[in-house]
This record gives sequence, C-alpha cells and structure tokens, in this order.
Amino acid sequence: MTARRSTRRTFLKTVAAAAAAGPFVSTPARAQGFTWKRFQGKELFLLLTKHPFIDVLEKHIPEFESLSGMKVKWETLPEIQARQKMTVEMTANSGGIDAFFTSLHVEKKRFWKAGWYHPLNKFLDDKSLTSPEFDWNDFTPGAKAGVTQPDGSISALAAFVDANVFFYRKDLFGPKGLTPPKTLADLEPLVQKLHAPPSTYGIVLRGLKNANATQYPTILFPMGGTYLKDGKAVLDSKEQVAALDLYTKLLRQYAPPGVVNFNWYECSASFMQGQVAIYMDGVNFASQFEDAAKSKVVGKIGYAVLPSGPGGHFSPIYITGMAVNAQSRNKEAAYLFTQWATSKPNMVHELMAGVGVGRTSTWDNPEVKAKPKMPADWYQAYQASLKIGRQGLPEIVGVTEYRDIIGVAIQKAIEGAPPAQVLAQAQKDFQDLLNRTEN
Amino acid sequence: MLTRWAHRHAQWLFPAPAVLLVAVLIVYPIAYTGWMSFQEWSASSLSPPRFVGAANYTKILVGDARFREAVGRTIYFTLVAVAAETLLGVAMALLFNREFWGRGLLRTLAILPMVATPTAIALVFVMMYHPTLGVANYVLSVVGLAPFRWTYSSQTALYALALVDIWQWTPLIMLIALAGLASLPREPYEAARLDGASPLQAFWHITLPLLRPALVVAILFRAIDALKTFDIIFVMTQGGPANASETINILLFNQAFSYFNMGYAASMAVALFALVMGASLLLIKVRRSTTW
Repeated sequence: MTARRSTRRTFLKTVAAAAAAGPFVSTPARAQGFTWKRFQGKELFLLLTKHPFIDVLEKHIPEFESLSGMKVKWETLPEIQARQKMTVEMTANSGGIDAFFTSLHVEKKRFWKAGWYHPLNKFLDDKSLTSPEFDWNDFTPGAKAGVTQPDGSISALAAFVDANVFFYRKDLFGPKGLTPPKTLADLEPLVQKLHAPPSTYGIVLRGLKNANATQYPTILFPMGGTYLKDGKAVLDSKEQVAALDLYTKLLRQYAPPGVVNFNWYECSASFMQGQVAIYMDGVNFASQFEDAAKSKVVGKIGYAVLPSGPGGHFSPIYITGMAVNAQSRNKEAAYLFTQWATSKPNMVHELMAGVGVGRTSTWDNPEVKAKPKMPADWYQAYQASLKIGRQGLPEIVGVTEYRDIIGVAIQKAIEGAPPAQVLAQAQKDFQDLLNRTEN
Repeated sequence: MLTRWAHRHAQWLFPAPAVLLVAVLIVYPIAYTGWMSFQEWSASSLSPPRFVGAANYTKILVGDARFREAVGRTIYFTLVAVAAETLLGVAMALLFNREFWGRGLLRTLAILPMVATPTAIALVFVMMYHPTLGVANYVLSVVGLAPFRWTYSSQTALYALALVDIWQWTPLIMLIALAGLASLPREPYEAARLDGASPLQAFWHITLPLLRPALVVAILFRAIDALKTFDIIFVMTQGGPANASETINILLFNQAFSYFNMGYAASMAVALFALVMGASLLLIKVRRSTTW
C-alpha cells in the first residue's frame, strides 16, 4: 500500500489535518531550538508491518505531513514479507527505507548485529532534534529495556507493548463462586472445576510450535525458569521441567482436541465460540472478544493479571518499535517521524482504539478514561501487567530458531513424551544454536 | 560492413537475446545457489559470506537428523498423494469417457479445484479441519464416525495435507488421462471382443498399456509438483505438529528466511533440486522403456 496522492488532494488533506492537529502545531514555537519543520520539503519512505498499531498510525500520518512539511510514503506488508523485504533491501545497501516498524522480540539482536538499526542515543540527547515534550522517562521500564541493547545503544522507540494476561469467563466463574487464580498452584484445580467437555473445556493455550513459545513463559517465569544463565542454555533445569509438565498437562487433559496445533487463531476462535473457560495470551486479542460480530461471549469476559509462582510474579511482554534505518540518507528526518509516531498524543490515539502502549502518562489520560473502548478490568489488568513485564523471549540472534526448538519440545510433550526427555534434546539444540550464533 | 558481419554470424546473433535471458534468469540463480551452498552467511550487511567448503553438505548427509527426516517425509508425501491421484484420476477419466446425461457439466465441475489458489484452499481447509468447530468432523459425526484430528495430530497431519493435494490435483491426472483415452484406436477393442476378452481384461491389456505414455507424463508433472509442495503446508501446519509435516521445502524456507542460514539453506535447495531431477529422469526412463 504505497501512499501517493495528487497535489490538490494533498493540499486539501493538509488543510484538514492541520485543523485536526491543533495541539501539535502549537508546540514547536515554544521549543528551545526544536522545530518539527526542520526538514521541510524532504520525502521519507517507511516500511511498515500489518499490525493494529499501524492501522491506527496510518490514519494520522497526514497530520505528521502537515506538522513537519515533509512528504511520507510507505509500504505496509505482513510481518514475514516485511522482514524478507528488509533483508533484501539491507543486504543490497539500497538506503531506500528511512524508518521501519520492528518486532523487537524477534529482530532486536539480529538486526543490531547486522548493523541495521541506527542508534538513537545521540538524537534523544540532542535538544534541537527531540521535542521537550517527548519525555523518554514516560516509557515503562520494560519498554525501555526492550529497545536498549547490551551495549546501551537504543535501537528503536517503543510503540506497541503486548503483555500476556489471564482471560476468563465471568459467567462460568460467578455461579461456582470462583475467582482468578492468585498462584500457579491454584491454576490446575480451578481448571478442573470448570472442565465439562464437550460443551466447555477448562483451558486453552497455544500448542503450535514457534507460536507456543510466547505463551510458555506465562508458566515458565513464575515457576522460576529462565532461558539463559551466564550465557549458557538452561532449558533442562528442574524449573523448566516443572513448567513444561504443567503447561502440557493442562493442554493434554483440559483443552479442546487438536490443541497441539492451535495457533492464536484457533485458540481465540474456541474462546470466542464459548467453548473454553480460561485462556492466557496477548492482551491485544481482547478487542476481538468484545466484538459482537466475531464473538459469542461479548461482555462475559473477565481480565486479570497472570498468577504468580515460586519464582515470582511476571507478565511476558513483547515490544514492537519504530526504528531509523542505519543506511537511510535522511536519518535525522526519519528520527522526527519515529519520535512523532511514539509521541504522547499519538499513543493516546492508539490506546483509545484499544491498542496497548508502553507510555505511563497515557493510561491516566482524561480522553482515554472518558471514552473507554474496553471494559475497566481490561485497562487494570493491562496496566498491572506492564508493571511486572519481563521480555518474553531470550534476547539472542537466533530467536526464531529457539522458538522452533522449544516449540517442538512443547508439542512432543503435549502428545505424551516425558518433559525431561524432550527438554534434554531442546537443551542440546539450543546450546548448539548459541554456540553458532552468539559469541 | 556491419550487415555482412551480421549475416555471417546470424546463427549466433538471433538466439542471443533468448540465451541472455536464460542466462540471467535461470543459469545465474542456479550458479549463485551452488556457490552459496559452500558458504556460511547470515544475510548480514556487516559480515560477508565465509567459505566453508563442503561443510554444509556434510551436515546434510550425516549431521542433520531433521533434514533426513524431511527427505523421507517429502518422498512419502509425494508417493501417497500421487498414487491416490493417479488411481482416482484414471477412474474418473474412465467414467467421464462414457456418454451420460450431464457429463459436460460434471466434468467442468470436477476440474474446478485445479483453478483455485492453493493458499486460499489451504485457509478454507484449516477451518474445515478444525477439530471441534470444523465441518469435516461434523460430517463424520453425521454418518456416525468418531471425530478425527486431521492436521491437529502428528500421526495424521501428513495424510490430511495429502488429502488437500489429492482433492486439488486429481483433476489434472483425469484431464490428461481423458485426452489419452480419446485418442485410443477402436480396432484393438473390437479384436479383443471377438476373441472373447472380458471388459476387465480389455482394460488391463489394452487400455492401460496404450494409456501409459500419457499417464507417465501426468505422473511426472504431479510428482515434481508434489515434491516441492509449499503453500498448503506452510499455511496449514507450518510443518507441525512437532515436525510431523516438515518437508524439505518448508525446512529450507525456515533455514533461509527464519533462521537466516543462507548457505545451509542453499545446500538444501541443491539437494531438493537433485531429488526432483532424479525423480524426473527415472520417470522419463520408464516412459521410454517398452515393458512395464
């Protein structure tokens, strides 16, 4: 989807957008040395990914054009295709992309090691380039950690922050006097009480390999498990075995048949069809649950923070950000866009559309509170989860390969293989991967 | 002067554009893949490819159990799918070779699956195969059968995928066989009938041998296609559950575009190329030979 418009239309849109972007336009004059108009007349090209955050952002890009006087063209592709295009463009050293949307939980270290992110530290410190209203410290600690590399360089500005939460059916919990579990120990007994197949299954979690790797830490982290210890793989620790045992036992005994190959699509479909009592996944899926055109359980869903465990209380989080391409010929101009895309006013737009962001100030914004799109407990569960957020995947170059390794182990365990045995294999493969790619 | 030169070298000059096109579009990528298969490269712009000799091939041949399993699976998938397609395709061709009311309409309907996009079909089958919400299990329950796991179990995933391939590509075999049947001479049948041959004997001793060249072509097309099936597997199972439906193509896609092991993926591409080439040569040899 390349944005290309005729001049007359651009003019009309600019006028309309300028009217809409009132609060923006007043800021630059006050700023000391900072002005949005600094690169007036330049043209930027963005590579974006199909994503709810981008759907909202695209609608507001004309506001940026009128604010900065720059022209913005962009292309929006599905995530995998976007990554392929990125790889091709970067290895060809074309310099055609100025800024891009990046899934940090997958790309962070690989793109950093390949030298594709332009470090933003200097830009953020430069008062003539960063608006005084930007406020870096408004981002949650998890969001800041998610965009920062081991050497301290900041690779992107955090845009969308997904957190895993606990979805449950209030209409099934209520009559039985049940409440969301406080600890992992409460989870299985609770699921058991709700399990009444074939009308209702106790729980659903992702089974499909690779996809399941982002839900596995909902159990692994509170169990006390980690991926790495002093740079070495620890997939065969006793916490890992206990976590995999619980994760796969829940799915084997209390989930709909075929769960071993369920991606989020099948999981949320069975939840929205009213077949399942409990589901743990990205908080972002909730906007579908509350959409009467797709869901049979609108208004019946409760939202809560994940249970804690012997290892602590965590919510696995996954961060996507806006980054400046190290090969861009307009890095500073691209940074202005990146800054605008993750600015407070834009994040408010996102949150009002039900897309979660990692900026603390937005959650108490009066506009958001006055017109909530989602139920109140959704906002509470989300905000509380961000506070206990921890990067859900290991921060390594070979994230995708890791996800396949643990993913296959999970699937084999769901189909009945002993957790300790499949984890021993996964440990070997994971250490191999680390030896090959981390040094 | 120039015209005289052009005249003298016309046999080189005229095919030159076509040769150039083939060189750029076919020879170069193949040669580059071959070269890449001896390198280690992670698609990084900071570090260039590094020559590793035959290490990638050694890994494929002796080191990588996942690759060996993928090879076996690819061949098995192809055998199951193409065998079923051939049996059903020939049976359908024999049926449509007879005159009956509504034949034209039914024949058109029968070839419709072939026209659809594999990705779209795969997405529809994902929904139909859903173990609790899908129509496939609903149909089974109506006729009194127990629900089935389809692509949602490592025991059945490969067969469920083969079923999609069979549904889509049986018509191709049927079409080619039908064309073959239409061109058969009538005399041998009359002679056979006079000699008292049963219809089954006529089919086995006359129809099948005469149809063989057409059938081999059909099987060749299908086998090459089935060996490199990608879309439906990628969309429906991504190679899962566990690695139960991971074929060479899926594995090499993952190696190249998910893990960024470009050199290793290139060596797998070369191996797949060799496999497809081998299968084709074998089938062509069968076609040329005079005995079954």
